[in-house]
Amino acid sequence: MTRAAALDAPVKERRKKTVSLDKKKARAGWIFVLPFVIGFVLIYLPMIMESISYTFNKVSWTALTGEYRLEGVGFANYREVLFSNSEFVQNLLTGMQQLVLDVPAIIIFSLFMAVILNQKMVGRAVFRAIFFIPVIISTGIIAEINASTAALNNYASSEVSTGNNAQGSSSATELISAADISNLFSGMAVGGELVSYVVDIINNIYNIVNRSGVQMLIFLAGLQSISPAIYESCSIDGATAWETFWKITFPMISPMILVNAVYTIIDSFTSQNNTTMIYITQQFTKANASSEQATTMAWIYFAIVILIVAVVAGIVSSFIFYQRKDG
Amino acid sequence: MTNETGKNTKVLKENKRKIRVDFERTSLWERIKLKYFSLRFVGRVIFVIFRVVLLLGISFIILSPFITKIAGSFMAPEDFADVTVRLVPRHPTLDTYKAIIEYNHYFDAMWTTAALSLISALVQTFSCCLIGYGLAKYKFRGNKLIFLAVIFTMVIPHQTIRTVLNRTFGSFRIGVFNFSLTNLLGGTPLSLYNTYWPMVILSVTGLAFKNGLYIFMLRQFFKGIPDELEESAYIDGSGIFRTFVQIILPLSIPMLVTVFLFSFSWQWTDNFYVSIFFPSRTLYTFPKIFTVPQPFTEAVGQAGGSMFEQAIKNTASLLVIAPLLVIYLFCQRFLIQGIERSGITG
Repeated sequence: MTRAAALDAPVKERRKKTVSLDKKKARAGWIFVLPFVIGFVLIYLPMIMESISYTFNKVSWTALTGEYRLEGVGFANYREVLFSNSEFVQNLLTGMQQLVLDVPAIIIFSLFMAVILNQKMVGRAVFRAIFFIPVIISTGIIAEINASTAALNNYASSEVSTGNNAQGSSSATELISAADISNLFSGMAVGGELVSYVVDIINNIYNIVNRSGVQMLIFLAGLQSISPAIYESCSIDGATAWETFWKITFPMISPMILVNAVYTIIDSFTSQNNTTMIYITQQFTKANASSEQATTMAWIYFAIVILIVAVVAGIVSSFIFYQRKDG
Repeated sequence: MTNETGKNTKVLKENKRKIRVDFERTSLWERIKLKYFSLRFVGRVIFVIFRVVLLLGISFIILSPFITKIAGSFMAPEDFADVTVRLVPRHPTLDTYKAIIEYNHYFDAMWTTAALSLISALVQTFSCCLIGYGLAKYKFRGNKLIFLAVIFTMVIPHQTIRTVLNRTFGSFRIGVFNFSLTNLLGGTPLSLYNTYWPMVILSVTGLAFKNGLYIFMLRQFFKGIPDELEESAYIDGSGIFRTFVQIILPLSIPMLVTVFLFSFSWQWTDNFYVSIFFPSRTLYTFPKIFTVPQPFTEAVGQAGGSMFEQAIKNTASLLVIAPLLVIYLFCQRFLIQGIERSGITG
C-alpha cells in the first residue's frame, strides 16, 4: 500500500488530503473548546493556585492597592483548623452523617418516582411539571429562605407542643407525627435503627423531594432509552412487573445510578444549605475573618468530597451493567 | 414473495374471523367476568389508586410551602400575634407587597437581575454548547484532559475560591500572586465590581455556576447524534462550522432550551456571585430585597414579630419566584423533551 502510494502521485495526494482533513478536524475541535481552555488556564488555574497557596501562608493585605504579602507558615493553618478548632471537625462529622442518610434516600426516591412518572396515565404532563418545579426555583437564595422558614416553624412547633413529635417536624410535614410512624413500625419486628431511619426520611421528605429533581430527570432520560421491545418480550414470556423491574429496568438503569450517586454527593456537599458549607461561608464573612483559615477549611472539605466520590464511584461501578462495552 | 405474503394475510384473516366468532359466542356476562373479576385486574386497580394517591401527596408536599407563603403574604402584622389565625388572614392586606416593591426597590432589583441572567444565560448556553460539541465530536490530543478539567471545575465548591474571586475581579488582572499580565501591559487595575463583566467573562469561558454540568449534559447529548449526519454534510461540501450551525444546532433546540432554562433560573436565584460582584448599596439585586422594609421596622419588634419578619422574607421570595414560574410554564415542555433526548449515559 505504502509502496503504491509512493509510486503513484495522485494516490499520494489523496492520502495527504485525508490526513489534512483529520488535522483540520482536530484544529476545529480545539477552536470549539478554546474559550474554556483560555479561561481555565488564564483565570481558573491562577485562582486555584493562589487559593491553595493561602493555606500554607499567613496573608497580610494592603487594602488600597490590593497587593498582599505572604508569610510561609507551613502546615500551621491545617493544624489550627483540624486540631485546635473543635467546631469545624464536629461540623464535618455531622455533615458526613447527614450525607450517609440522605444520598441513598434521594437516589431510591428519585428512581421510584421516575419509574412512576414514566408510565402512561392521565395527567402525566401535569405531574411532571409539578415535580420539576423545585429544580427551577428551590435554589440559591430561595432555598436559604425556605430553610430559615423551616427552622422558625420547628422552633415554633417545639415551643407549642411537647414530647416526641416535636422533634424535627417541619412545616411541610406537620400533618404526620413521627410518633405515629414509630408506633406503626415498632409493631413489626424490625430494628430500631431502621425505624428511626425511616422516620428521619419521612420528616425530611420535603427536603428530599426538593433535592431529587435533577436526579429524576436523569433517571427519566435513562428509562426513555430502554427499548420497549425488551419489555414486550418479557411480558410475552410471562414475567411479572416485579420481575421485569429487577431483571430489566434495574440493570439497564444502573449506569444512571452511578451518575446520580456522584451528582447527588457533589450537589449536597456544595449546596448552600449544607451545614459545613454554611459554617465555612460564615468563616469567610464574619467580622474578624481569617481568610486563610477559611480557605484551608474549604480545601480540606474539598479533599474529603473527592475521596468520598472516588470511593462511592468505585463501589457502585463494580455493580453496573453496561449494555455495550464501547458505550 | 408476493405469494407468501398473500398466504400470510389469508391466515391472519382466518384467525381474526375465528376470534370474532369466539367473541360473539361468549355472553356479555362471561366477558365482563373474565375481564374484571380477575386477580390481575384487581391488582391493577389497587396499583393505579396507590399511584394517584402517591403522586397527589407528593405534589401537595411540593406545593404546600407556596400555600403557606401566599397566605402569609396577605396577612397584617396583627394576624401573626393571633394564634388562631392559621391559613386565612383575618386582616387581609397588600401592604407587604407594596412595601417590598416600594421601599426595597423590587423593580430595580428585578431589572438588574433580569439583564444579568439573560446575558449570562445566553452566553453560557452558547459557549457550553461549543465546548460540549468540541469535546463530543472531535478527537484531538488533550480531549480527555480538557474533559477532566471540566469535571474538576464542577467538583470544586465555589466557596473554596471566594477570596480569590474577590481579588481577581475587584481589581481585574490575569496572572498569579502579585504578578499580573494586565499590569505588565501598563494601565491601572480595573475594578469590575458593579458591572456585568465578571459574569460575562466567567460565562464566556464556561466557568460560571454549574457550567460544568451543562457542558457534561451537552457533551452526552452530542455524542448521541450519529456521526453520519455530519459526514454526509461534509460530503455535500459544507464546512465544519456551517455544519454545526445549520445541521447540529436546529437538532438540539430542546436541549439548548433546557440548558438555557437551567442557567437562567439558577442565575436568577443566585446569591453567591451577585453578593460578591455587586457590593454597591445603591445597585439593587435580589439578595438585597430580603430586608425588612422601613415602615415595618416597628411591627417586627412586637409580639409575633419573628413570624412577621419571616413572612416578609417569604413574600419577597414569592416576588422573586413569580417571573420564573411564568417562564417555566412556557418552557417546561422543552425541558422534558430535551432531557428525554439527551440520553445521558454513565
